Amino acid sequence: MIRHWLTRYHLRYPRSLAYMLQASEYNITDYIDWYRNTENFSQVEIRKSFVKSAKSNVVLVSIWLTMFCLYLLAVSFIWLISKPLNYFAVAIFVFLAPFILPYLLIIPMVVIKLFQYPVEWQILKKAKQKISFHRGLKIAIAGSFGKTSMREILKTVLSQGKRVAAAPHSYNTPLGISKFIETLDGSEDIVIFELGEYYPGDIDKLCKIIHPDIGVITGINEAHLKKFKTLERTIETIFELSKYVSPQKLYVNAESELAGKRAAGEYIKYNRAGVKDWKVTKPVTGLDGTSFFLENGSNAIQLHSSLLGLHQVGPLALGVEIATQAGLTLSQAQEGIAKTVPFEHRLQPSKDVSDVVTLDDSYNGNPDGVTAVIEFLSTLKDRRRFYVTPGLVEMGSKTRQIHQLIGKKLAEAGIEKVVLIKNSVTPFIGQGLRESHYRGEVLWFDDSLSAFSALPSLTVKGDVVLLQNDWSDQYR
Amino acid sequence: MIGLTNTVKLSRFYKLYMYLMKKTIAVIFGGQSAEHDVSIITAHIPIIQSLLASGQFTVLPIYIAKNGCWYSDPEMNRLAFFKDPEFESSLKGRKKIQILFDDGLKIIWPGITKKVASVDIVFPAMHGTFGEDGSLMGLLRMANVAFVGCDLSSSAVAMDKVLTKQVLAAEGIPVVPYVWFTHDDWKHDKQSWVDKVSQLAFPVFVKPVHLGSSIAITKVREKEHLGHALELAFHYDNKVLIEQSVENLVEVTLPIMGNERLELAQIEQPLNKSDFFDFNNKYLSGGKNSGVNSQYSELPAKITPELSQAVRDLGKQAYRILGCSGIARVDFLIDGQCNNIYVNEVNTLPGSLYHHNWRSAGVSGVELVTKLITLAEEKFKKQKNITHTFNSEILKQLGGPKLG
Repeated sequence: MIRHWLTRYHLRYPRSLAYMLQASEYNITDYIDWYRNTENFSQVEIRKSFVKSAKSNVVLVSIWLTMFCLYLLAVSFIWLISKPLNYFAVAIFVFLAPFILPYLLIIPMVVIKLFQYPVEWQILKKAKQKISFHRGLKIAIAGSFGKTSMREILKTVLSQGKRVAAAPHSYNTPLGISKFIETLDGSEDIVIFELGEYYPGDIDKLCKIIHPDIGVITGINEAHLKKFKTLERTIETIFELSKYVSPQKLYVNAESELAGKRAAGEYIKYNRAGVKDWKVTKPVTGLDGTSFFLENGSNAIQLHSSLLGLHQVGPLALGVEIATQAGLTLSQAQEGIAKTVPFEHRLQPSKDVSDVVTLDDSYNGNPDGVTAVIEFLSTLKDRRRFYVTPGLVEMGSKTRQIHQLIGKKLAEAGIEKVVLIKNSVTPFIGQGLRESHYRGEVLWFDDSLSAFSALPSLTVKGDVVLLQNDWSDQYR
Repeated sequence: MIGLTNTVKLSRFYKLYMYLMKKTIAVIFGGQSAEHDVSIITAHIPIIQSLLASGQFTVLPIYIAKNGCWYSDPEMNRLAFFKDPEFESSLKGRKKIQILFDDGLKIIWPGITKKVASVDIVFPAMHGTFGEDGSLMGLLRMANVAFVGCDLSSSAVAMDKVLTKQVLAAEGIPVVPYVWFTHDDWKHDKQSWVDKVSQLAFPVFVKPVHLGSSIAITKVREKEHLGHALELAFHYDNKVLIEQSVENLVEVTLPIMGNERLELAQIEQPLNKSDFFDFNNKYLSGGKNSGVNSQYSELPAKITPELSQAVRDLGKQAYRILGCSGIARVDFLIDGQCNNIYVNEVNTLPGSLYHHNWRSAGVSGVELVTKLITLAEEKFKKQKNITHTFNSEILKQLGGPKLG
């Protein structure tokens, strides 16, 4: 306890603060949240570490400067205050300095932001202009989850007959999207954007730059609930997209209860039963991928994708729908679907020499994704299944409820081994498992790394290991 | 929330209880043998890795350097420590440990801040000389501590390829025809030994008798090349075995675990790139972190069910005849045409415990090491019931005025 407390007086402390600022993308609220939840400041850089860049160096220097000013002030008390109180004041101030420092840093952060603002404004203006003259079809994807999979499906399928550009995942903020627009050469037939939402108004800001032709809402849930406070605010933020595309061009995933309900009869819904006139029949899924038939009166095609799980059927069907809208032939769409493969860290299978299949789903940290994955695991009956998770982050007031439900679903699916990482949320999964009379084995590990290194010693031939979600240093 | 707080508190007590109840397992590896490096791999993959993964044990790594000095440091639980090219020079700054026999085994880190740890069970992971030949087991027997795997006598017999054949043959187990002699025998009367070898059908294998991991084994096709092969073998050993090569060879191996009741892994067929399964095939061509090579073998071996059954039966017999306990691996040579099976040798510490094979047979690393520890405890308990001392009056009778 005292040892943790003393880490604030360590020479590494300023660097730790700089890292925390950098890792929380210089978001003051996130940084202060993190600071308040931290006890040991010598161990904040666990997964990643401080990356030196122009900005981070400026930040680090300003932290040292602030620190220096604080101590200078402390020493000046010797002369400013009369004896013998002055020495006492110096001691108190030196003692308090590391506690004041993190809050004092908000000032240089604001100053840096003030300098950045006009530069960023210029970049945004340029991007806005450029994209408004772009001839391509613009597709915007919004939602609490499933955006990246949707983007990859569309990109793969549409590329069968069109020139497609898609913004990478991290380019989902106004600045990021502007930077992506800068890379377009104007010859693209289709441009796909992923819209990131962290606070109300975010989707609005992005749509004002892009002015999309087609919109897709992949689903809504508790992701980032801590920032949105209420689910209603999340829903309204994501549906800001509906103001910028016609109702006949906005596709909403009806498998997400919140999104489906909000869409009501207004927009076009898609799910594993189909989209518009397309009806899905005979869906099958397994470790080799997912297959189904798609029919619309006159046409019928058989589709196979390497994506795992029946929750992918809806997005895949939508891929075919948008492809035909964009002018691709059915066989092109069919070939495109055949080329879709699991994206990195999203239910991505790999097999080791001992025939142990690892499903890397470490980028999936949302309740709907988790439900879909457990549903998929429940279909794999002839293999022993390991479910490894540190739980989900940013679930706000729903933390307890969501994790208990995960426990319940795991118990119902009859997952043989549940591997939990000790932290503030996994006890709720444990509770959910107990309450549902879980019959398998629960294995606890102090951290993800020790769990990962233990897995090869725990598994045997034929086992399936699912790695669900991965926490960054910010969360405990 | 109250419920949760209670669980957390309870789990803290449980954690403390578990910590106090955890058995200390000393994994001894390295050693002064040609297989020093292989031993480091076996100790870590799977032994230490699985012991730690189980969460049930405190692991005490004991590393014996190439110069015979003993070290122990928690850092040595990581394989990465030994992968560091500087590790050997870094040993100089480390404290050497002392061992104490105190009705059990104790490890002492000497110095002002002297530390003592008592060992509950030893997990030997030393291949070859001093480790696999029974020497270490002798030491552990004298320390009166439970240890995993084969005992002194079975290790000593299995280590000597000639002795193994003699013991097995005496019990009616088929072995390949062979000749053996020592370096002195060879020096004094080369011709008569060449004559004896000539009675075997060529090609033959020339092997140092005590070495494992197929080091310094040569296949000799013509009599003229015998001298060179012998020279190499005598470089490593004083006793040499020359055995007839099996034609249409199908080589298979079977890992076995148990004391009285035996559990069999899968019959595995190493797929040789060269003429025989040598050191490089065994350890160096394997996949990342797989320990012993697993990609260059057929698992399970593609042999007929009848042959498989015969292999399993012979394997169990050989294991029992040699008095193996804990774990061992029996190697077989099969003439693929006439389906003759020969037991070739018994390995009392299979490289990396052949954990890839066990894993394929449905035994995970954690299950493998925990089973072996239970077997070690069982064996130790049984031995304790056997009386080794008795009170005699001989000393008293020896004393007295007669001596004066």
